[in-house]
Amino acid sequence: MEMAIFLVMGALSVGFSLVMILARKPVTSAMSLVAVMFCLAVLFALQSAHLIAILQILVYAGAIMVLFLFVIMLLNLREKEGEESHTKGYGQIFGGAIAFTILIVAVGSTSMSGSPAGLSSDRFGTTAEVGKILFTKYILPFEITSVLLLAALVGAVALVKLRMR
Amino acid sequence: MEMIPLPQISVGAIAPELTLVAAAMIILMLEVFTISKGRDNLAYVALAAVGVAGYLVIESLGSPMTTFSKMYVVDDFSGFIKLVCLLGAGMTILMSVKYTRDEGIDGGEYYSLLLFATTGMFFMVSGADLITIFLGLETMSISLYALAGYARGRLASNEASIKYFILGALSSAFMLYGMSMIYGAAGVTNLHEIARIIGQNKENIHLVMLGGGLVLIGFAFKISAVPFHMWTPDVYQGAPTPITAFMSAGPKAAAFAAFIRVFSDALISLQYQWWIIVWILAVLTMTVGNLIALSQENIKRMFAYSSIAHAGYILVGFTAGGKLGESAMLFYLLIYTFMNIGAFAIVAIVGQQGEERTSVSDFAGLGYRHPLLGLAMVALLFSLAGIPPTAGFWGKYYLFTAALDQGYVWLAILAALNSVIAVFYYLRVIVVMYMREEKGESLPQNAFPASIVVVILVAIYGSVLLGITPGGYLALAASSSLAH
Amino acid sequence: MGLDNIWWVPILPLIGALMNGLFGYRMGKVWTTFWALGTTGLSFAIALLAFGNLVAMPASERVFEKVLFTWVQAGSFTAEAGIQIDPLSGLFMLIVTGVGFLIHVYSVGYMGEEDAYPRYFSYLNLFMFSMLLLVMGNNFLLMFIGWEGVGLCSYLLIGYYYKKDSAADAGKKAFIMNRIGDFGFLLGIMWIFWTLGSIDYTTVFAAAPHSEELMRHTRWGGLTVVTLITLFLFVGATGKSAQIPLYTWLPDAMEGPTPVSALIHAATMVTAGVYMVARCNVLFNMAPVTMVVVAAVGALTAIFAATMGLFQNDIKRVLAYSTVSQLGYMFLACGVGAYVAAVFHVMTHAFFKACLFLGSGSVIHGMSGEQDMRQMGGLKEKMPHTHLTFLISTLAIAGIPIFAGFFSKDEILLSAFMGHTPGHIFYWLLATIAAFVTAFYMFRLYYMTFTGELRAEDHHVRDHVHESPFVMTIPLMILAFLATVGGFLGLPTALVHLPHVLSDFLAPVLNPVAAGAHGEVAEGGHHVSWQMELGFMAFSVAVATLGIFTARYFYKVKPEAAEELARKEGLVHTIYVTVQNKYYVDEIYDYLFTNPIVVFSRKALWKFFDVKIVDGTVNGVANWTMGISGVFRQTETGRVRNYATVMAAGCLVLIWAWIMYL
Repeated sequence: MEMAIFLVMGALSVGFSLVMILARKPVTSAMSLVAVMFCLAVLFALQSAHLIAILQILVYAGAIMVLFLFVIMLLNLREKEGEESHTKGYGQIFGGAIAFTILIVAVGSTSMSGSPAGLSSDRFGTTAEVGKILFTKYILPFEITSVLLLAALVGAVALVKLRMR
Repeated sequence: MEMIPLPQISVGAIAPELTLVAAAMIILMLEVFTISKGRDNLAYVALAAVGVAGYLVIESLGSPMTTFSKMYVVDDFSGFIKLVCLLGAGMTILMSVKYTRDEGIDGGEYYSLLLFATTGMFFMVSGADLITIFLGLETMSISLYALAGYARGRLASNEASIKYFILGALSSAFMLYGMSMIYGAAGVTNLHEIARIIGQNKENIHLVMLGGGLVLIGFAFKISAVPFHMWTPDVYQGAPTPITAFMSAGPKAAAFAAFIRVFSDALISLQYQWWIIVWILAVLTMTVGNLIALSQENIKRMFAYSSIAHAGYILVGFTAGGKLGESAMLFYLLIYTFMNIGAFAIVAIVGQQGEERTSVSDFAGLGYRHPLLGLAMVALLFSLAGIPPTAGFWGKYYLFTAALDQGYVWLAILAALNSVIAVFYYLRVIVVMYMREEKGESLPQNAFPASIVVVILVAIYGSVLLGITPGGYLALAASSSLAH
Repeated sequence: MGLDNIWWVPILPLIGALMNGLFGYRMGKVWTTFWALGTTGLSFAIALLAFGNLVAMPASERVFEKVLFTWVQAGSFTAEAGIQIDPLSGLFMLIVTGVGFLIHVYSVGYMGEEDAYPRYFSYLNLFMFSMLLLVMGNNFLLMFIGWEGVGLCSYLLIGYYYKKDSAADAGKKAFIMNRIGDFGFLLGIMWIFWTLGSIDYTTVFAAAPHSEELMRHTRWGGLTVVTLITLFLFVGATGKSAQIPLYTWLPDAMEGPTPVSALIHAATMVTAGVYMVARCNVLFNMAPVTMVVVAAVGALTAIFAATMGLFQNDIKRVLAYSTVSQLGYMFLACGVGAYVAAVFHVMTHAFFKACLFLGSGSVIHGMSGEQDMRQMGGLKEKMPHTHLTFLISTLAIAGIPIFAGFFSKDEILLSAFMGHTPGHIFYWLLATIAAFVTAFYMFRLYYMTFTGELRAEDHHVRDHVHESPFVMTIPLMILAFLATVGGFLGLPTALVHLPHVLSDFLAPVLNPVAAGAHGEVAEGGHHVSWQMELGFMAFSVAVATLGIFTARYFYKVKPEAAEELARKEGLVHTIYVTVQNKYYVDEIYDYLFTNPIVVFSRKALWKFFDVKIVDGTVNGVANWTMGISGVFRQTETGRVRNYATVMAAGCLVLIWAWIMYL
């Protein structure tokens, strides 16, 4: 059962990713991304990472994607006309095929054995557990992340401010 | 309500980082409340923070410790690289005083982003865990993406920012994927633990190798090793000159430090697999960097390729490894910071407002119109070219000796040949400065504020005087290496 | 003054360089002259006193090392900056300061009209400093720093007339060719440190004979480590001392002011390679393969450069080719293990070649800047002092007895003949032919310049021909005097039963090759019978005289014969003229000997070998590099998509390699 869900969701997320890249309309791309997020959330849930699964939907699919859609609507982006076509001849396809083969072989040749991580406890993935670990073992990365977000915020504001003058 | 056991935390260990972050936030606040006349002072606040952080780092030398659940390590190695990063940050801040004034940039976000970037570097070099290293790297990179786009009104700068962002995100993705594979194989993210586990258990070795390869690519991007260097010239050319100077020194040093820590700590048992890759990267990086630099007309672009080549030389030390190789790398990173930032300071002076004069031919006759500036440029270029008795010579000598010492004779020969090629393009600038008909007018009197003169003097100290008596710094680098 | 203060010798010129470089334009010509001459003069005086002290010491104690400060101390790597004075470096110190001082004096007259007078002297003093550092340093790195320093000064001084494109290009060429050599030298030094753990002369040379690592056979053709090290060092020497294949920069270097050519490109800097090989004689003796290479390159350079000088018309270019050729002799001597002979020739060459260059400078000065010998002639009466000193030096270089060049060249030829290096007889033959050619072209130069009629067409030039001032002629006279008596330091012992002063003096530093191993030492002729010595001398003199008289015939007695030779080339025509012409013998020479040499020299050697092959290779490498650079440049498309593709491709190649091979 798990395996079946994994395969379906995995295939769906790959499919939607492709649609996202190849779609001509920006809105289609954005909506495909939402679908990818949902598929990923299911995959997280399969791994017992419930909190992450919920966050994936709330934050990414919910908040961020809504912003994306707003931006697309505000800028009134439409299907780009007269742009070069998406298929770029056989060279690209051939290159992509080679790349794909190598990746498959690479991943295939790496054998994974055992389940080294495992579930540390039956409360793994719960909000309480994640919260606890974030504020104890991972306190430093957690704080660095706050600096990172602040830097990103300041950077974004600064660039926009520069352009608004 | 159960008690949550707190791990051992030593706030003192991250005092330098706290200083920098606090100063960054203070600067943001100050900008809001100061009138635009007094905004030069923000630079000096940033400089003071750099100074305090430097003092704290020096204090911490000689007393290694690991804290924050073994995610953060303070040792002489990280201390040395942090000092290099601070040196780069300090020189950049001094360079920026005039630049921000000329270009009408409000200092607040600019200086705080510089400090955030430096903080990111600190976490990178002190990270004893893949997570810390990655977060530090991202903090640094995101600040740099923004800084690269800071030259208002110059399209090239916006372009640089976007390009750097997209390609940087791509490389981060590679690195993160690689880290997740290593985690998958070892089950831990701590570097020491990874080394222990994959040392004992060879079952998942292929996965570790694949992951290690992807992480290597991520680092290769940050140090701009060929073929992951493509962003460098465009970004260096487009970014504001002080930021270009900054990017060429500190972030590189930090990336090298993390690179060393991951590969000669966590993945040391794979050394016989990765040395050949690094060997090839070193040769490619030196050769391609130097060869393309030959045909550059824009001096910032030329220095971009030259910095690629220098990364190649440092990779020679990485290939050699061991105590000698590592200390040679550390020493080279130090002197490289001095001479490269110094050279960019002169490029900034000659470029003037709007960076309109950044072609090599804009240096024609400079040696006669401004003899002291010309002399300084000659000294820095000689140091970059590695002509004795400059510090650049010692750096190269030390690196190449390390390679020979480990038996990499061909690598040393290729590196030495490359340093011969490099002389061509550095010499070209000197020839243009002294041996072409003088054209153009003198620089205005206000082109030489005290702040930038200090930068050049520091650079001259580091690349000339340090070349005459390099002993102390060499010893410091040797005592700071990770390997024993 | 004791040896303790010896470090003033290099420091004083540095002070002069700084004074003139920083304040030269402000303090005026008189003070510039004061600082330039004062510092070098004082330096020479101290060097002289120190040398006196050194000679006064017992022979076995004549090594004085003064460590100034610990330069680098990092882990196992230690380098101490210090001065080492022993007979070898002492002698070079004396040559550099002495000849350097004379050339400074001369420059006051020669460069007096220049605007950039302080710049010239600050470069020249800086050169003195670097050269003294090169010869007086106590370790390889100091030598290397001096080595780079002299290269830099040479570059600056060749490009002194930087507004002339040819001068700037020549400077660049010199610098780059020197860098190619330097890279070999640096690798050699690094390898020495790697195997012996030190760069200090005393330590290295003491440890080398017992080092097993040095004698280890490497993968490269089974050559020993020491062979590779010495080959790398020799690459450095070929660059600095203008040997095949890195010699072409030296003739071009004549774009610089003439006193510079005299000091740097004749008397001192170009002999740095010889100094280095002599200094490392312990290592070179351990590497027979390298010795063959050194001897072969030396002999070939001697003969090639000599023939190339045959029909040049620029007075300084002739002297430049002759310098290359004489340097070839010195390396030949090193290659057969006769280091004393090499150093002896360095010394005598410094005297007579400096004198020749300064003499040519005096001529150029008198001819209002004309350098073409076809415009000269008959200067004998108009410039008597120059003429006399020039004649003495020409006799010295041609190898006429009692003049200095005779003794040193004779010793080299004898050593080559008696040597142990494989092929030494062949090298001796080449060197002997080169001696003939040298005598010929030097006297061609002499006759074309000083005898006959003044051929200048411009009457301004004709009217202005004058002898140079005393400030220029006195150095000439001193050098001519030295070129006369300098050879007596090394009289052949087999003949006169007097001690070979120089050989005895240098003996503690220079070990003749494999002394004891082969049981016989050719050095200084200790084991050569006097009959043989005398026979050799007679032969050398005969060869030189033949060369002189050939030149005399073509350029003095029958100048039109030379003109005809110059005009008529081609086989059939030559045979026709030979039958017609009553100067039957000369036409045979023409057909058999001279004409092929003319063609060979002008067409093959100079035009083809020099211009096409060597220049072509050097330029070719540059063009080729630029070409590759251009190809790589195509990758700079500016498109993020392409950049990302390259990254992804690099990533895939890496992963693929990883899976397949590791």
